Parts: sequence; structure tokens; C-alpha cells
Amino acid sequence: MKRAHPSILVVDDDPEIRQLVCDFLAREGMSVGSAADAQEMDAHLESTTFDLVVLDLMMPGEDGLSICRRLRSPNGPAILMLTAKSDEVDRIVGLEMGADDYLVKPFAPRELLARIRAILRRVSDTASTPATRRFAFDRYVIDLDARQITDQKGQGIALTSGEFDLLTCFVTQPRRVLSRDQILDRLRGRGVEPFDRSVDMLVSRLRRKLDLAGADQSLISTVRNSGYLLVTPVARLP
Amino acid sequence: MLVVGALVILLIIMSLVFQSLRIDERTSAPSPDRLLAMTILLESAPSGERISILAAIRNHEISARVVEQASAPDLPQLWPSGSAELADYQRALEGRAISAFRLEGQPLFNGGFGNQRRATEIRVALTTGEVLIVTTSSILATGVAGVPVGYLIAILGLLVALGVLIFLHREFRPLAQLAQAVELIDPDNDTIMLPKIRARSQELRLLVSAFDRLKTRIDTLVEARFALLGGIQHDVRSFATRLRFRIEGIADETERAKAEADIADLILLLDDALLVGRSGVHKLDQELVVFAELVTSEVAERVDDGAHIALNVNPGSEAVQVLCDRLALRRILTNLVDNALSYGKSANLKLGSDADQVFLYVDDDGPGIPASKRKLLLEPFTRMEQSRARHTGGAGLGLAIVRQLVEAHGGKLAISDAPIRGARLMISLPRFKP
Repeated sequence: MKRAHPSILVVDDDPEIRQLVCDFLAREGMSVGSAADAQEMDAHLESTTFDLVVLDLMMPGEDGLSICRRLRSPNGPAILMLTAKSDEVDRIVGLEMGADDYLVKPFAPRELLARIRAILRRVSDTASTPATRRFAFDRYVIDLDARQITDQKGQGIALTSGEFDLLTCFVTQPRRVLSRDQILDRLRGRGVEPFDRSVDMLVSRLRRKLDLAGADQSLISTVRNSGYLLVTPVARLP
Repeated sequence: MLVVGALVILLIIMSLVFQSLRIDERTSAPSPDRLLAMTILLESAPSGERISILAAIRNHEISARVVEQASAPDLPQLWPSGSAELADYQRALEGRAISAFRLEGQPLFNGGFGNQRRATEIRVALTTGEVLIVTTSSILATGVAGVPVGYLIAILGLLVALGVLIFLHREFRPLAQLAQAVELIDPDNDTIMLPKIRARSQELRLLVSAFDRLKTRIDTLVEARFALLGGIQHDVRSFATRLRFRIEGIADETERAKAEADIADLILLLDDALLVGRSGVHKLDQELVVFAELVTSEVAERVDDGAHIALNVNPGSEAVQVLCDRLALRRILTNLVDNALSYGKSANLKLGSDADQVFLYVDDDGPGIPASKRKLLLEPFTRMEQSRARHTGGAGLGLAIVRQLVEAHGGKLAISDAPIRGARLMISLPRFKP
């Protein structure tokens, strides 16, 4: 589905950047649309099919993260995230989010072009099957889309939805200390009451289930005064 | 407890002193000289003046009278015969017969609590054949069981002191709790709230609530600072993005390259400021990183660019993990290596560890850093060369940033001499223990 003139939708709340990026991409022979926020973007997507959306992370109204989750579908456009905060890269890389690539502002125009071309090439190669979200850690394999976790014998482990979401936090940000606030932030509205203790209890339940299922040592370590971290490395499975 | 003990000991000492100083009968009796004077006066005076003399002698402690003759009373002797006191008086009175008796004490009030007379009677045979009887009585304020009132007051004082101590202890306990809670206040951890401290007194309650508000204000300040940093970063990066696109229009290639470098420097400075800012409010990332791997990849990247860097990892230190902010750690390494390469031609890195820490030594082959300048170099905007020119080095923030970032990770930065020549910079970071 590679086209001679790929169509790109640029979504950024900064009108100058939007204009500059659009002009540049148009000069490079792409057909370009632009949107200042989620609503304008939706209007564009209804009428036109775009190959790729260049999406700014921080926007008024619905932010890039939420848009990204929404757009993620087998037939949806590829997504290149832009962020003006270097410390938010982690949230984008947080693999469950579904962006195909990201760029930290400021970036060179040629860099943007190179990334866009790389993504489009990749998308056409894999013939529009989005990457699976399966990860291996310790002796477990977790499938975020099927929402199931199995041990090395292929035995499924029963987790409640809260426990699974918590494990998702850890697996998508492995070896990184997550504070109770950060965890609460990710689990909000998913059956977890906003109390510090509820995170502690959830973590201890998850620990017990993973340990019962045979983990060598506690996979989730407590860092005093900070939070919790998944100690083991996580590998993405094809 | 210590104070209570001290008070009790003080009381015991005071009662012992009191015992030894206790006023006894001897002191209440007139001195031998005085008795002699009375005797001579009364002997020599015409009988009509005796009344006046006796009146002159009398006061609340002593009274004297002259009787024709007196039979020996049935009273205990004041001084045993042959005692030193008796001899003194006998010598002073030039051979006149003298006898002294102890009178029974009489309580002034019934019930025993009050003053008690301690009285003596001294009889002197005058040369006129009459007998002079001198009665003395000292009034000692005494209480129950003959204990002096002062002693009782001391015990009362002690009891009051004990009461006050207990009261103060109860009142000060909230203060101690408050101090403990304040110790724990740390921008690193906003989950610690002041515990509910129950204070009885108004002043303490005010203090506790004032600290509560102070804690909230500090939290707000930290949040505000962090939000400010985030805002600045977002806007500067947005402007830089526009600028980066606009300079594409510059036709002169070298000019455009310079403009690109300027923007890159600008962002680097912003990143440094943000890193230091975040480390100041303990907002650094905490990621589990294999220290040796990170150092190795950083060094490899620099060696690819043609830098002379050697890295030695001690056996056993290859897999040591640290909890750190990856970005901050890279900044630390970059600054240390840059420093070494700008003052010398090559950098020699050694990585080691012990049970608690990992160490990284960065040695250069430059002129070294004199001991007197080491401390100063860790402060912002100081450099070995006095010239401020950018092209001979940074703005002088390098080591200050390294120090702040290392300390934010709970580590240390030290400057010393390299084994052969040049300077050695050493950082240590706590190793991760699950």
C-alpha cells in the first residue's frame, strides 16, 4: 500500500510549527493535512485516509497519549509522536501506547523526513499487521492484547483485571521505579481506589500470585520512600 | 529521670548539711564573757538598779532573774561534769559556782506542728550570796516529729519540681514527635504527612499546625518549581523547533551549520539546567541500570569519535546494578570524560565495586588539580583557567553538575591525584540491593 505521495496529517497545537512542518513535508512531495486538536483531527480522518499522523504529545483538550491509544487499530494510520519534553519520552516508549516512533523537539527537518519514510516502509512491509504486544520476562509471557499471562509450561495464571493492569505498568516500564502516584495514575478508573494503600495491597497480591507460580525471587522490588520496580529485564516477542 | 535523681540527691545532701549545722543548746546559752559581765554588773550594782539591768538583759531569747537562793532543780544537766564547756564557764566566772540544766521543750501550739522552745537554765552563785538564774530559749521553727520547717519546705519544693517535670514531659512529648516528623520531611517523598500529634497546650497545637502548613507550602513550592521547569522546557523546545525549520532557508552552508550548532548548544544548556533542577527537587528517574554496561557503551561511542579513552572494569563489577536516572548518569560520564580530555590528551577509566558501592575513577594525563583548588572547582562557574572563553571549555558548570547529580543519586564526587600524573576524579554510587 505504498503510494508515491504518502498522505500525512500533522496534529500540533502550535500554529507556527504546524505550518512549518506542513510546508516542509509538502515540498518533499507529500500530501499534507493539518489539525490543531483532536476534534479537527477526527474531522480530517473521517473524510480522508492518511498513511501517517504526526502527533504532538502535549495539546489542550485530548492529549496525544489518549489520541494514540484511540487511533491504534490494524487499519489505522501509523503514528509518529512529537514531544517537547525529554522526560516524557518514557511515556511514549511505554510500549503499550502504540506509537510507531517518536521525535523530541527540536528536530532537524531531515530527521523528521527520515523517520516518516522509515515508518511508512515498515508499515508497508508488514502489510498492515500491527506489531503484537507480547513480552517475555523471567519465566512468563504476557500478551497485552489478549490480556493473558502464561508461565514457561504454557500454564495460564489467573489475574484480576487490576492485577493485570498493574503488571502491564511494570512490563511496559521494566527496571524503572514507579511511584505509587504513577501507578495510581495509570490504574485510575480501573477499579482501584485512589489510596496509597490500595497500590500496596495490589502489589502484594500480584507478588504472591507470581511467586506461587514459581518465580525465583520476588520480581517486584520495593524501593524505600520511592515505589516499586520490576527487577527483571523484559523482551518484546515477535 | 536524671533530673529527679539529681533533686533527690541534692535533698539528701542538704539534710546532711542541716544535720551537721544543727543549732544545739550550747549556742543558745550566753557566752562565758557575757555571763561574766552580767554577773559582775549584778554583783556591783546597787540593789535598786538590778531591775533595770535585768530588764536590759532580757529579750525574746534570754531572761535573767536573781533569787535569794535556789535548790537544785530536778532537771537534766546540760553539760556533763568535766566537759570542756563547763570548764570554760568555770574559768570565765573566776571560781563562782555554776550549773546548767536543760529545760523541757514546750510546743507553742498543740498538735505538734509549730514552734518549739529549746531552753536551758544556767545558775551562777553571785558573790553577794544570791543566785543568778539565766534562762535562754531558742525558738526553732519545727514541724512534724521535730523536723525543721525548712526541711519540709525543701521536700514540698521537690514534690512540686517532680510534678512540674512530669507535666513538662507530657507537654514536650508532642514536640519530640514533631521533631521526628520534621526530620522525615523530604521533597523526595510527598507521601509523608505529619502524624496526628495530640498536644494539650494551645501553643504546641499552634506550632504543630504551623509546621503542617509549612510542609504543605514546601510541597507546593516544589510542585510549582517542577511545573515551571516543565513549562520552560516545553516552550523553549517549541521555539527551537520553529527556529530549526526556519534556518533551513539560510543559503550559506557554513552559516546554517553554525546556526544548527547554536540551537544544539541551547538545548544542551536547557537539558543541563533541567537535570540539575530536577535533581534539586528529587524528581530524577530511578531506573535499574547495569553500571558497567552503560559506561562501556558511553566510552565506545566516544572512542568511535576518535577520543583516547581506556576503560578497565574490575572482575566482579561487570554486572553490578545501580538505581539511577539514565540521562543524568550519561551527563555525569560525558562531563567527566570531557573534562579529562580537555585538560589532558587521554582519559583512563577504572570501574570497581565493593559490597555497598560502585566506583568510577577517571584519570587524565594533564597538569593535575592542586589540592587548594579542588573544593572550589566543585562550585558552579569556576574553572581552572580564569578566562571565560567558551571555546576553551564550558561555562564552568561541568563538575558542579556532576557533583549535584552524583549527590542526588546518593553518591559522592572526589578529586585527587592520578597515580602517575594528572588529576583523578572519582565518583561512587550506591549499588542496588533488591
